[in-house]
Amino acid sequence: MLFVELIAQGLIQGSIYALIALGLTLVYGLLRILHVAHAAFFTLGGYIGVMVANQTGSLAAAIVAAMIIAGIGGILVFRLCYQPILHQPPFVPLIASIGLYIAAEELFRIIFGPSGLSYKYAFLQDQVVLFGFLRFKLAEIAVMLGSAVIIGVLSLLQTRTRIGVACQATVSDPQMAESFGISLQKVGDINFFVGSALAAFAGVMVSVLNNMVEPTMGSVPSYKALAIIVLGGLGSVRGTLAAALVLGVVESFGTIYLGHYLDRNAIAFAFLILVLMWRPQGLFART
Amino acid sequence: MNHKKLAVAVTAALAMQFGVPAWAEVKIGINVPLTGFAAADGKSALDGAKLAVADANAKGGINGEKIELVIYDDQASPKEAAPAATKLIEKDKVVAGVSGSYSASTRAAAPLFQAAKVPYVVAYSIHPDVTLAGNYVFRTATMGEVQGRAGAKLSSTLGKKNVVLITLKNDFGQALAAGYKEAAPKFGVKIINEYEYGIRDRQFGALISKVKSDNPELIYASGYYFTAGPLVNQLRAAGITVPVIGQEGYDSEKFIEIAGAASEGTLVTTSLDRDSDSPVTQAFLKEFRAATNAGADMVAASTFTATSIAIEGLKKTGGKGGEALRKAIETGTFSTPIGKLTFNDLHEVNKDVQVQIVKGKAFHRHSVISDPVLLAPPTKAK
Amino acid sequence: MEYEISLATTMAISVLFALSLNLITGFCGQISLGHAAFLGVGAYTAGMLAKAGVPFLLTLPLAMLVAGALGVIVGFASLRVRADFLAITTMGVGFLFVGIVRQQDALGGEMGISAIPDSGMSKLVFMLFAVAMAAAAALLSAYVRRCWMGRVFSAIAEDEDTVRVMGIDVPRFKLTAFALGTALAGLAGALYAQHLKFIAPDSFGFIESITVLSMVVVGGIGSVIGVTVSAAVLSVLPSWFQVIGTYKLLVYGGLLFLMMRFSPGGMAALVKRIFHPDRWGAK
Repeated sequence: MLFVELIAQGLIQGSIYALIALGLTLVYGLLRILHVAHAAFFTLGGYIGVMVANQTGSLAAAIVAAMIIAGIGGILVFRLCYQPILHQPPFVPLIASIGLYIAAEELFRIIFGPSGLSYKYAFLQDQVVLFGFLRFKLAEIAVMLGSAVIIGVLSLLQTRTRIGVACQATVSDPQMAESFGISLQKVGDINFFVGSALAAFAGVMVSVLNNMVEPTMGSVPSYKALAIIVLGGLGSVRGTLAAALVLGVVESFGTIYLGHYLDRNAIAFAFLILVLMWRPQGLFART
Repeated sequence: MNHKKLAVAVTAALAMQFGVPAWAEVKIGINVPLTGFAAADGKSALDGAKLAVADANAKGGINGEKIELVIYDDQASPKEAAPAATKLIEKDKVVAGVSGSYSASTRAAAPLFQAAKVPYVVAYSIHPDVTLAGNYVFRTATMGEVQGRAGAKLSSTLGKKNVVLITLKNDFGQALAAGYKEAAPKFGVKIINEYEYGIRDRQFGALISKVKSDNPELIYASGYYFTAGPLVNQLRAAGITVPVIGQEGYDSEKFIEIAGAASEGTLVTTSLDRDSDSPVTQAFLKEFRAATNAGADMVAASTFTATSIAIEGLKKTGGKGGEALRKAIETGTFSTPIGKLTFNDLHEVNKDVQVQIVKGKAFHRHSVISDPVLLAPPTKAK
Repeated sequence: MEYEISLATTMAISVLFALSLNLITGFCGQISLGHAAFLGVGAYTAGMLAKAGVPFLLTLPLAMLVAGALGVIVGFASLRVRADFLAITTMGVGFLFVGIVRQQDALGGEMGISAIPDSGMSKLVFMLFAVAMAAAAALLSAYVRRCWMGRVFSAIAEDEDTVRVMGIDVPRFKLTAFALGTALAGLAGALYAQHLKFIAPDSFGFIESITVLSMVVVGGIGSVIGVTVSAAVLSVLPSWFQVIGTYKLLVYGGLLFLMMRFSPGGMAALVKRIFHPDRWGAK
């Protein structure tokens, strides 16, 4: 029983990681930059979600608003912050991104106050019992189902639509794609829009799960998502998904059985270092 | 452009450092975390301290001189607290210091105040080392270990034997757990398991699954409202209905807001009794709400208390600091929102522990643990 | 005066620490996002030894030794993974360090170590000593840069594969860079422990690693003078920013971003551009 429950909890955590890490992978695949500030859209999503939901009383409206606003924010970050420094060595955008993230976190604190916000209405807080013994919050189920559906739809779009194929082509070989007349700018816009919108969705779901958004809620996901995309083999969407779910489950068991020796973040990184030393190109990389 | 910005910032900073004239005011310094992870508590603490100063100034200050509160942000970090304390002592020449911050920063600052012989009143930092820095350091909070012992007694009063500890992995959580574990056998309370979590954790799914399989009669969980809110919420959502005992870290309206309906019935050992009939407490609660439009929490009450103790002392010495002020605080009895306080030879206070319970979306009195032996703070001898 | 002395000590320690990272990241091109772990190793080693009664001056070389030895181990990782992967691996090392120290009761656990015995030096002498150490590190950096080893370092930073093809033993040089850099970080840590007399795991976390990397990058990666100046300024900026109060970290993050966005070569490049306007067009 406990075993199944721990796996289920790991998968819930894993799907949250997956939603955040997917955006990072899309960006890395295209631009080869580690987009630390990505987690700011996770936090932004949470804040917009709480505010819109408290105003309108509708969680659906909150999710849509959060995803659209974060998506547009993503495009702005791409055009204003990253595009001009793409030709620089990798540490330049990396540090710029870290600076951006620190500044964003502070902006949240200054604008919305240090102690965070909560929902006025109880969304998805009911309990669901599955198979007689697995007990979930409705929100937990929604996280899992939501991410599965979104990721499924995305991969369909990626293989079935013109623009999706263009994106894929650009990620695997930007120069070749450009010579076929695909606009890098456009693909960049789309990747940043989609990635940031996914992060915002994750932000809303986590804010519902915890009934709280706070300025620092993105700091753990920001570096953990980095670890995940590295494990997934940098730039590989499927690898990232697998790595996110595996890490969720590893952490779930780790907090119980290793908690006295290592804390949760250290577990994730110990796992990461082990894997990298064994397979320097990541756990799920195509070689 | 950047360069210019930096130059402007530096010039402005220098101007502030060297250009400030000396006012004929009594200066009290305070270090609080206004940025970083503890910023929310820092704001509460500062509101409390400001209220104490405003109260005193409205009543004519000290010998007619106004009190000025000199405020430095320490980010709850020792690295920031040490220079802040040095600056308060050296540059601002404060006659007394107040800590409205966590243990790490307070531990770094306390020896500096001690070395400069500037009395330092610590509001809510609970680490034992703080008062060991020397005889110029005072503390109004109940130490972590003592609160932990009170938690164990409360468990047995509730008639619960099998307990699971969920411990926040920082000095606050560990001190509480140590006290609880020390006292538990005396009350026949058995700890069947202990789990630890980090201050950044908000998702407790895995841990809760395990707690459920342990089937405890009571959960003693340390944390602050921002960890405890999600924790209690998720415990209840997982169908765990046994009582949860928290501590003063829970003591904030934010806890009730975050945990929502799940917060009902949560017990908290703390130092602020909302239903107290003491006029000092009731006046404080009312004034705080008027000043900030929010309800006071333990942090605000404790920092208000620490600041007013410094002010009371200064009134006795006529604004003089140093040894005179130390003696005035040592020998004084202070009526504060968290009770009547006197300091022992280690400058700790001996006071009852208030048990509050969440009822109808507010903290109310559950009981008071009054046990001078169990709750005795350490003395110099120990 | 004591406040100024304390600030000057903080400055000197930060300069030393930033220069130590500059050896690895600036000279040899190996990005590290976990350098604070070595500051921590030095601080804990020196702190524990001092508490065990070892005299202050003796704790310094021992702290360097322990930090340098661990540095070589992490250096082996740089032989296996490169660039972005290395950045993430070193970040992992940083988290692992904090995660492990937190759970060691012998190291004070979450509570850290306080009341570290005094060095016996007066505050002024200690400050001068720290400044002397920072100056020595700057001289060492300038020397390394000029000698054969420094040239190989910068060649590795530019294009590792070509250097390898030329028959140069790349791993040896990389490990040397890590050993030197982390040993100096250990020295900075030992001074840090002595200066604050209190250390706790959180003081050596990810934020600290990022802060020191910022100092290097803002100063101008690889530039000894640039890094020295930027570390000195950035380390006391928070104290000055007390004036701006709650906007401190916002300005700090914004500065980092703007510097990278508009002058990725850091202050060193900015100064060059100002004094050689003809190079404005150059990359």
